[in-house]
Amino acid sequence: MKVTLFATCLVDMFHSNVGKATVELLEKLGCEIEFPQGQICCGQPAYNSGYVKDAKQAMKHMITVFEQAEYIVTPSGSCATMFKEYPHILKDEPDWQHRAQLVANKTYELTQFIVQVLKREDLGATLNGKATVHTSCHMTRLLGAKSEPFTLLNNVQGLEVIPLDKSQDCCGFGGTFSVKMGQISEQMVDEKVSHIEDSKADFLIGADCGCLMNIKGRIDRKKSPVTVLHIAEVLNSQ
Amino acid sequence: MKTGTVHNSDSFLKNISSRLGRDTIEPAVTLPEWSYSPQHRVLENATQEELIAVLEKQCQIIHTDFVRVKPENTLEETLNYVIESYGGGPIITWDDPRFEQSGLSSLFERDDTSIWDPSIGDNNIPLAEKANIGITFSDITLAESGTVVLFSGAKKGRAVSLLPTVYIALIPAESIVPRMTQATSIIHNKIQDGDALSSCINFITGPSNSADIEMKLVVGVHGPIKVTYIVY
Amino acid sequence: MSIKIGEGPFHQRVEKGLNNPFMRGAVSSAQERFQQRKASAIEELGNWEEWRSLGEEIRQHTIEHLDFYLNQLSENIIKRGGHVFFAATAEEANHYIRDVVQSKNGKKVVKSKSMVTEEISLNACLEEAGCEVIETDLGEYILQVDDHDPPSHIVTPALHKNKEQIRDVFKAKLGYTKSEMPEELALHARELLRKEFLSADIGITGCNFAVAESGSISLVTNEGNARLVTALPKTQITVMGMERIVPTFEELDILVSLLTRSAVGQKLTSYVTALTGPRTEGEVDGPEEFHLVIVDNGRSSILGTDFQSVLQCIRCAACINVCPVYRHVGGHSYGSIYPGPIGAVLTPLLEGYEDHKELPYASTLCAACSEACPVKIPLHDLLHKHRQVIVEREGKAPVSEKLIMKAFGFGISSPALYQMGSKFAPMAMKPFVGENQSISKGPGPLKSWTDSREFPAPDQERFRDWMKSRAKGGRIDENRYRS
Repeated sequence: MKVTLFATCLVDMFHSNVGKATVELLEKLGCEIEFPQGQICCGQPAYNSGYVKDAKQAMKHMITVFEQAEYIVTPSGSCATMFKEYPHILKDEPDWQHRAQLVANKTYELTQFIVQVLKREDLGATLNGKATVHTSCHMTRLLGAKSEPFTLLNNVQGLEVIPLDKSQDCCGFGGTFSVKMGQISEQMVDEKVSHIEDSKADFLIGADCGCLMNIKGRIDRKKSPVTVLHIAEVLNSQ
Repeated sequence: MKTGTVHNSDSFLKNISSRLGRDTIEPAVTLPEWSYSPQHRVLENATQEELIAVLEKQCQIIHTDFVRVKPENTLEETLNYVIESYGGGPIITWDDPRFEQSGLSSLFERDDTSIWDPSIGDNNIPLAEKANIGITFSDITLAESGTVVLFSGAKKGRAVSLLPTVYIALIPAESIVPRMTQATSIIHNKIQDGDALSSCINFITGPSNSADIEMKLVVGVHGPIKVTYIVY
Repeated sequence: MSIKIGEGPFHQRVEKGLNNPFMRGAVSSAQERFQQRKASAIEELGNWEEWRSLGEEIRQHTIEHLDFYLNQLSENIIKRGGHVFFAATAEEANHYIRDVVQSKNGKKVVKSKSMVTEEISLNACLEEAGCEVIETDLGEYILQVDDHDPPSHIVTPALHKNKEQIRDVFKAKLGYTKSEMPEELALHARELLRKEFLSADIGITGCNFAVAESGSISLVTNEGNARLVTALPKTQITVMGMERIVPTFEELDILVSLLTRSAVGQKLTSYVTALTGPRTEGEVDGPEEFHLVIVDNGRSSILGTDFQSVLQCIRCAACINVCPVYRHVGGHSYGSIYPGPIGAVLTPLLEGYEDHKELPYASTLCAACSEACPVKIPLHDLLHKHRQVIVEREGKAPVSEKLIMKAFGFGISSPALYQMGSKFAPMAMKPFVGENQSISKGPGPLKSWTDSREFPAPDQERFRDWMKSRAKGGRIDENRYRS
């Protein structure tokens, strides 16, 4: 099966490990990975900040880059959601809307793709310890990917997945919110990290680099002993 | 009845029409068939006894005493018992033939019972205000929420269920329906039939309460502090 | 008081909120209770999503035909001998109400809770005209007694106060001598307010939903104050936002069911009262005269726009009760009597962007509000739409944000620029990178992040470059799993 990887800009620039793990994992599962070098950011930070015209240009570029794909897979619930939003955002340009719809239809967040398309649940991964999961807002509320990460993590050898208090709460990232409203964002991530610490988990696992960068940033600042991992890294661990 | 007055309706409504893309105020609108109707499925096939059980359970949640008249007792005995348990009168009641029909004439033989009396006008209010207990019948009873529905009228003063410290609702078992849906449907049908609607319909669910201070529930604020439902 | 409350710019208000530990504790525990109650109330119902869809459909239909339903409502009210005043502005509404009160020689007004009368500053208008205006909802009463402290929540307005503070206010202003127990405080208010109800000339209420088919107005309360306000004074004036209407009693059932569950987790509140016109022949309680004031005050300008769905709102505060931003900053930070997500959407629409342009940004767009809304208002989408209007139509985007956009290379549509920006990022950031491969003191806009968090150093090799060399059969880095 041919998979076109949409890495996301955070992975490209800051978290290449997540991209590498995604590639290896999908290859292990029998996929052939294609990586269009023309890919840039999905436009979400600009779009969410109200710069819709700018974002539309980025979006159209991304449509052009990805429309030939068979499956588009991305290790980010939020960026997958953005691709799914393209047709709605471009609704005033029917031609682009149509092309956006085709792209949206074949876009999957990584864990969704593994469970729904590849129909795999036990990937033979091993990680020893206790983990709690940050269920990202866009991934759960907008994309609707609620159960897939848990389905996959429950099959990881040696890993005990434990609940997180107030898991439905946003971590306070919110893209530019994290700098525009830095003080509020701080309080939100601080609360999130407190709940993570209270859970006594060794690992905090998520499927969105934005949220993870925010949570890890606070954990590292507090010198908290929790290790932050992207789910691709966990599922690819032996 | 004297017709009321209306001011500025034309300019106000035409502005709305034009905002909604119309030249004039819509002359008629038909209600669509709604896509869902979950309200009709609540307690859909419940029997009378099951509804009473739901009501009884709900009473615990709404801080209301639920009393069911036992086969060996009369409604009168049960009511007297509840009245005494609240320390007796003064009592105020609706002027309602159902009291007599339900064998409660002795209630009016007490010298501390007042009956809501339109002929004395405003003088009813202090009577209700000083009453320890207000007693009315329930016109419709909602099992799901534990609600008694009262249609006010000249002889059925609003204040009887409102001003006394204690409120007792007498609930005929046959007045119990699953939920608000059945009551609003009855009201809707009355309106469709052109029947005069009561000027005040109260859906009463237990005693008054407030959680305005630190979200702590205080039972009994402006309305009655204690409520008992007697099902017969 | 108008929609706008409080002093100072947004960030100052937020700072004040964040530095108020009691308020934050109170709001946080209140949110938790609200959420638990709502969760169990909707679980009991079973098919909540169907209820929400039905609620949304009813509200959309009603707003779409608002002219018809308001007309029907008005005709039915005058048939019953009530008076209807359509007020395009707050001033029109206030002046009409003041004139009615004066024509009755009204000196004492008792009020039940109404957000729309807060919105139009009715109390100030009546007080100027020499009336005594008494709020009778316990929360509103507490705020009024405490020198008109503004509300911080649309359902429980005194949420930000603790019982000790309330006790002290009662002691200072009301001759209260007992403890801080809520029961004792409430009893004191009951005794004082009972006298006011009995001696008031005029009762003023809000309106949860008007019913077009009968000309009824419904009031949803727990305390019973709205019943007293409408049973005892000789004149009743009800003020409603023009969108607060349902076609028939059958739709009232659905919306009240959604409201009480979403607002307080109750199947029904203690009192749902449907009032139709003044008292009828022979009745001796209820008002002799009934006036309904239907208020536009900016609402009609929302019709026909991308924001129309905000008029579906039934003021349940479910969005406020789940909002993590509200939890931390509290209601007063929003600078509006309508706080939280609904307030952040509604306030700029009613009062313009000038004073409220930060509100749409006081959200992570986490969509918890949209998910909680019982009538499915896409609140996070509407917040986003505001941002678009602020940037593209109003030109009010803050300079700092434009800088961020540039600094990150986000939103830059050119692939070439993205490529260049991301390629040189490691070099550009190098001076700021500490030994742990992260940035602790970021430059420019990054400072706001690094004040509380580490920011990752850009990878020396971008992922795309790794892919490129891999495609050429290049190396595989075996030590990449740091964990």
